[in-house]
Amino acid sequence: MTGMIQYAWLVPLFPLAGFLINGLGWRSLSRKMGATIGSLSVLVPFIISLLIFLDVRTGSNSVLSYFPFIQSDGLNIPFAFQIDSLSSLFLLIITGIGFLIHVYSAGYMAEDDGIVKFFAFLNLFVFSMLLLVMGANYLIMFIGWEGVGLCSYLLIGFWYKNQDYTSAGRKAFVMNRIGDLGFIVGMLLTLYCYGTLSYSSLFPQIGSANDLVSTNAKEWIALCFFIGAIGKSAQIPLFTWLPDAMAGPTPVSALIHAATMVTAGIYMIARSHLLYDATPITREIIAWIGLATALLTATIALRQYDIKKVLAYSTVSQLGFMFIALGCGAYTTAVFHVLTHAFFKALLFLGAGSVIHAMGGEQDMRQMGGLGKKMRITQITFLIACLAISGIPGFSGFFSKDEIVSAAFAHGKMLYAGALLGSMLTAFYMFRLYTLTFTGGFRGTHDQEHHLHESPATMTFPLIVLAILSVFGGYIGLPAVMSSHHLLSSFLGLNGAVVNQPDFLKSFEALHHQEWTLIAISSIVAIAASIAGWAAHRKPAFSANKGLALAFEKKWWVDELYDAIIVRPFLALSSAFDRGVERKGIDGLVNGTGKLVRWSAERMRLLQSGQVGYYLFVMVIGIALLLAIGFFGNPF
Amino acid sequence: MAALLLLLLTGVNAYEALTLPLEGKRLFNDMLMPGQVSAWFNTLMTGCTLLYVMLSGRDIRKVGNHVADYFALIFFTLCGLYILSSYNTLLMLFLGIEILSIPQYILAGADKRNLKSSEASLKYFLMGSFSTGILLMGIALLYGAMGTFHISEFSFPTTELFSPLALAGILLIVVAFGFKVSAAPMHLWTPDVYDGAPTPFASYMATVMKVAAFYAFIRLFHNSLGSVSNKWMLVIMIITAATLLIGNITAVFQQSVKRMLAYSSIAQAGFMLFAVLSVNELGRQSLIIYAVAYTLATVGMFTVLAKLKDYTYDGFNGLAKSNPMLAFATAIFIFSLAGIPLTGGFMAKYYAVSALMTQGNAMWLVLFGLLMAAVSVYYYFRVIWAMYFKPGTPQLHEPMTTTDNWLLLFTASLVILVGVAPQLVLAFA
Repeated sequence: MTGMIQYAWLVPLFPLAGFLINGLGWRSLSRKMGATIGSLSVLVPFIISLLIFLDVRTGSNSVLSYFPFIQSDGLNIPFAFQIDSLSSLFLLIITGIGFLIHVYSAGYMAEDDGIVKFFAFLNLFVFSMLLLVMGANYLIMFIGWEGVGLCSYLLIGFWYKNQDYTSAGRKAFVMNRIGDLGFIVGMLLTLYCYGTLSYSSLFPQIGSANDLVSTNAKEWIALCFFIGAIGKSAQIPLFTWLPDAMAGPTPVSALIHAATMVTAGIYMIARSHLLYDATPITREIIAWIGLATALLTATIALRQYDIKKVLAYSTVSQLGFMFIALGCGAYTTAVFHVLTHAFFKALLFLGAGSVIHAMGGEQDMRQMGGLGKKMRITQITFLIACLAISGIPGFSGFFSKDEIVSAAFAHGKMLYAGALLGSMLTAFYMFRLYTLTFTGGFRGTHDQEHHLHESPATMTFPLIVLAILSVFGGYIGLPAVMSSHHLLSSFLGLNGAVVNQPDFLKSFEALHHQEWTLIAISSIVAIAASIAGWAAHRKPAFSANKGLALAFEKKWWVDELYDAIIVRPFLALSSAFDRGVERKGIDGLVNGTGKLVRWSAERMRLLQSGQVGYYLFVMVIGIALLLAIGFFGNPF
Repeated sequence: MAALLLLLLTGVNAYEALTLPLEGKRLFNDMLMPGQVSAWFNTLMTGCTLLYVMLSGRDIRKVGNHVADYFALIFFTLCGLYILSSYNTLLMLFLGIEILSIPQYILAGADKRNLKSSEASLKYFLMGSFSTGILLMGIALLYGAMGTFHISEFSFPTTELFSPLALAGILLIVVAFGFKVSAAPMHLWTPDVYDGAPTPFASYMATVMKVAAFYAFIRLFHNSLGSVSNKWMLVIMIITAATLLIGNITAVFQQSVKRMLAYSSIAQAGFMLFAVLSVNELGRQSLIIYAVAYTLATVGMFTVLAKLKDYTYDGFNGLAKSNPMLAFATAIFIFSLAGIPLTGGFMAKYYAVSALMTQGNAMWLVLFGLLMAAVSVYYYFRVIWAMYFKPGTPQLHEPMTTTDNWLLLFTASLVILVGVAPQLVLAFA
């Protein structure tokens, strides 16, 4: 253990302290105090994370055990943190972007009465997320996993007086729980097969000579964990909660539902890459689910009018891209996209938040237009983010997405075609969003137009920082044809933290001679789609959608489908149980017992007549019976 | 004065508990054989009596003019208790039971101007005489079969040749003990007597006296008759089941808390019978814990009752608002009687049940007992419900003094202490 790493425990400690202070003092702390405490308790860990990162870069890594967490016969799970290149990278993302969003929130939520509580929740979220990535075994990860789910629920329903918002929170929680069940089963299977949950003792076993666990069992374990990832990272079929989660305040959408929490599934699979190396079938499933999600939600994003809904579907779609990469075995590529996506998607959400702030809460793009003139910083930073996410050459998204598309190409032509289609749709709907919002003439009411203004510095500062990162963030992972040195994958490869699947690596390297072609194709697709997106919406006309477009707008009726095949039968079943079993059966039994007792009490009371003669008579009868039993009825 | 004397007695008994040998020391020509455990039992019960006198002293003085007599009678009762905890012959057993009982007959009628009190006294005396007769008959038959009064010298032949004389004697003694501990169907006197007797004396009757009879019960049945437990087991099982059933079910319908407590004391006797049935070390320990926990809580409840003018459940309405400390202490006593964890009552029930389970012959009785304990929650918690959730202004005979309040709280904290650290009660048992 060297240098800063041994102080890693400080990183989650600060947000926890911030949560406790804000959470306990939310009645008495002033708004400024709450915001300052909340932000500082993420800034300090960011600085520590930075130092840890520098340490890790020199090649040091370690597992820090603090105390035994669960100890029982044969089972020993320590409370331990694992600091290596993967976790230190995520530490930077969480605390860095987390800090920017805390600062942004101080401005965005300044008028809200619950701001101190809000910061308490945000701090708790950061704490849980840190636990998730720092844990040295699946159990610690699971604590964080559940913790972020809880915070997500609390923050989605933050404006709890709105009934729709609270049910959105509940939906998120329930859907996450479905995934969590998969995670739990995965953990139990792992324990059953390998007897440990610690990464450092589990992964060396997998694929080693004395690994007696059958491939089938490994596939099941991997699949169960992936189900957990489906829930948390909003993939088909559990993706519908994420768009609804936009009910929460916009900084929450940026931090939790775009930059960090939803990437937990990707982190988990990257962390378990040695397991997934050994399970090709599950990886195939992952890749195709990723592709299906990416395409389905990208089409939905084409016809949404709520600015945050578009971004939400875009997030789901981008997560789908990351799963494509994971499915191909290109784990470092997925992490790369997590990183760049965190920059530009956080920027997009914060920009959208800035727009909503200026519009006085309006989120419908049909009411916007021409905002660029009033909000120059927001417009420029937003444009940068759009360019980045669309994969325009030179911006960060281009590098990571190009890597995914190439990985798909190495994996198979079908996957490649799908991924390319997906990135085309992405560029199209992003420029639709940009054009509708920032260019043309204003379509809202006169009051709204009058109210338009650039956001305060606490909000624009994070925009600028994120914009810079969105431009340059991609240069840590240049394609092999441009540079022989891929900074990110060599960093992630330190001490074998994350290494791409060996077979994949071979086929990927075989592609080198075609790489320029691939880059050219995806660049052309992105640029063309962007221009098309811009051109098609320069002069918007909002007529009722028909046919396929209606299917996009109505989100392919997935919610309605779930409602019909799951929710309603379930409700019908439970009300049948309520009426049939609960009220008639159980209540009847319980009340019947009560009635029986009262009835017999009334009868038995009459034994007590108050007459001594009668008492003696009863006693004599009793004695006679007892004697008879004692003499003749003894079974012993 | 009485308190000082009791303190002294507690001290002497504690000293005895420290010095007496475990197996016992023969005294008075083998008539008594006090040992460490019986001395410890004496210590605990004398301590409880001390607490009782401090809690109810004022109420005792208000019963009538012969205060000195009342205290003297309480000391006689204690004397009976000492004999019962260490008797070694059936004669001393009889003597102890009588010394224990006769003062109770008088105390029950202490409120001479009150017809109900006199009625209670007379009823108690008549039925008590009847049971004395049965006890004597039992002792005579047993003597006839054994040829000795010394319980440590009893020897039984192999089971096939078991004398019917001895069996009849044992069963009659069971019945007589059943009467003293108010087990069904010999319980019928209990509600009438407790209801009629002056409240502070009903409290003493229901606790120290009953517990002493129980200790005498297991002293005979665990040691001398333990080897032939198969002969009397079934009869006591039936008695236990009947006691639990009648005590708990009848308590449900009562409107007066005092009568409810009478039935509850029957119900609790059912659980103490578990200790007799289990015939093992754990059973004896469970009886001692039960004795202490039950005595503390019941004495506490009766003390509270003596303060109130109205003995019905409605008399407790709104007590939490007008006398929060009183209500809190009452709630603890109720919790203990109902066997809620953290209180002595829980530990007592726990030990009783585990003793019977260790013995292993009567699982159905364990289940039945737990079921009845659930029923008991209904009538016990009505008091809490009345105190905390019903509006009303309870009428007290006189305002609570600070000493009263603190003594009650002290008793309540002892109840908790027994629940948290039962090993303290079992220090020498």
